[in-house]
Amino acid sequence: MIRFQGLNKWFGSALHVLKDINLDVAKGEVVVVCGPSGSGKSTLIRCVNGLEPFQEGKLVVDGTDLSAKNAALRELRMEVGFVFQQFNLYPHKTALENVTLAPIHVRGLSKAEATERGKALLAKVGLADRMNNYPSQLSGGQQQRVAIARSLCMQPKIMLFDEPTSALDPEMINEVLDVMVSLAKEGMTMMVVTHEMGFARKVAHRVVFMDQGAIVESGEPASFFGNPTHDRTRDFLSKVLHH
Amino acid sequence: MLGNLNIRVIADYFPALWQGFLNTLMLSGLGFAGAMILGIIACALTIQPLRWLRAPAIAYVDCIRATPLLAQLYFLYFGLPRLGILLPEIVIGIIALALNSGAYVAEIIRSGILAIPRGQFEASMSSGFTYLQRMRFIILPQAIRPTISPLIGQAIVLVKDSSLLSLISVVELARVGQQIALDRFMPVEGLAATAAGFLIIYYLLKALAGFWSRFDRVPGRS
Ligand SMILES: Nc1ncnc2c1ncn2[C@@H]1O[C@H](COP(=O)(O)OP(=O)(O)OP(=O)(O)O)[C@@H](O)[C@H]1O
Ligand SMILES: [Mg+2]
Repeated sequence: MIRFQGLNKWFGSALHVLKDINLDVAKGEVVVVCGPSGSGKSTLIRCVNGLEPFQEGKLVVDGTDLSAKNAALRELRMEVGFVFQQFNLYPHKTALENVTLAPIHVRGLSKAEATERGKALLAKVGLADRMNNYPSQLSGGQQQRVAIARSLCMQPKIMLFDEPTSALDPEMINEVLDVMVSLAKEGMTMMVVTHEMGFARKVAHRVVFMDQGAIVESGEPASFFGNPTHDRTRDFLSKVLHH
Repeated sequence: MLGNLNIRVIADYFPALWQGFLNTLMLSGLGFAGAMILGIIACALTIQPLRWLRAPAIAYVDCIRATPLLAQLYFLYFGLPRLGILLPEIVIGIIALALNSGAYVAEIIRSGILAIPRGQFEASMSSGFTYLQRMRFIILPQAIRPTISPLIGQAIVLVKDSSLLSLISVVELARVGQQIALDRFMPVEGLAATAAGFLIIYYLLKALAGFWSRFDRVPGRS
């Protein structure tokens, strides 16, 4: 579903932000990406829906070759949902409008169809009673759940999450993680940048550790957490698991 | 001094003043409508990625902002006939006002768009909206709101600037004021009448700005 082959990316000429990335994500697989700040996790995941261009190597997502000059980015983005750390809801639209805007104008659904689908999804993420609220009237956790519903309403094949709980107060983290867990269990293909190791243990098929732009180690959660082979992984794990 | 104001002269000239007032309103209204259209187009061109479309728009905005309106007005007044384009003074005047304010409108709207957080562009892009859809549904509705007050400010400037059109013999408020001064040798009366007319328009626009400011917020935000 997602295949990185020898991908390299630089910011400007000096900053080599992604180094020889090779990674396959199969259909239905949940891959968690972790690593220290600045290691390139966001950049990696943003490449997958074409928010970041790259200079070398190959990246094929759902059959679309992103290294091709005229890659059909818009069509690809219809199939790939992206959830941001800062939610990025449209502040001038209600929760329901946030969710139905793209299905109506990008997918071409009728307003009635989109509304029905949107209401069902908002109910699914536990916001049946907040559909007509504006983002500013919602808590962070609620906003992030609207953002997830907004992506799901396009019925994507892949969901990407960039630290979806990092901007949340601790008591709201679980309400968002619960939605992600149920999504994973339904078989959604997911790439999730997160430091929530509990989530990784519970639903990830694979955990990838990045440092300084490179994938240092990757493995199934049991072995990844049980006996990490690299010192840097061990170092990192001891930091994130201790609080 | 105001005590000595010759009210009779102003009353005599009232029909002419009223006509001047209406003309000023009309010139300014058309000029500002043109400025909005030009400004939105120029702004759209300056923020899109194609260089060959962006360069002329930036050049337009720079040239207008760098030169006085009077020079622009004369440039059109004397320049257009040389190109074989013969237009009534009033049309030239409206074009000058629109061209001039258009550049400022472009800058005001551009600042509104630049104030929109990056995440709004990224989120809408990630959902597969086209460039025009992003502008229409997500960016512009948020960008326009905070620009309304500065745009009304620009309209107030434009109304005052329209008095320069008297120099190419367009009949508007200032021109009628000059007429009073010249016909009756009463410059103070002429100027006072002119000023009163402009003051009325100013207060109308100011009231509009005040009315708008009550709605000038994102819905749902208190
Ligand atoms: N647009 C940009 N221009 C230049 N440098 C950038 C840009 N975006 C990110 N970087 C740099 O690239 C490196 C990787 O950034 P990235 O955001 O991918 O890291 P990250 O692993 O997501 O970190 P964090 O955990 O803090 O989110 C950092 O050194 C960052 O400063
Ligand atoms: Mg990041």
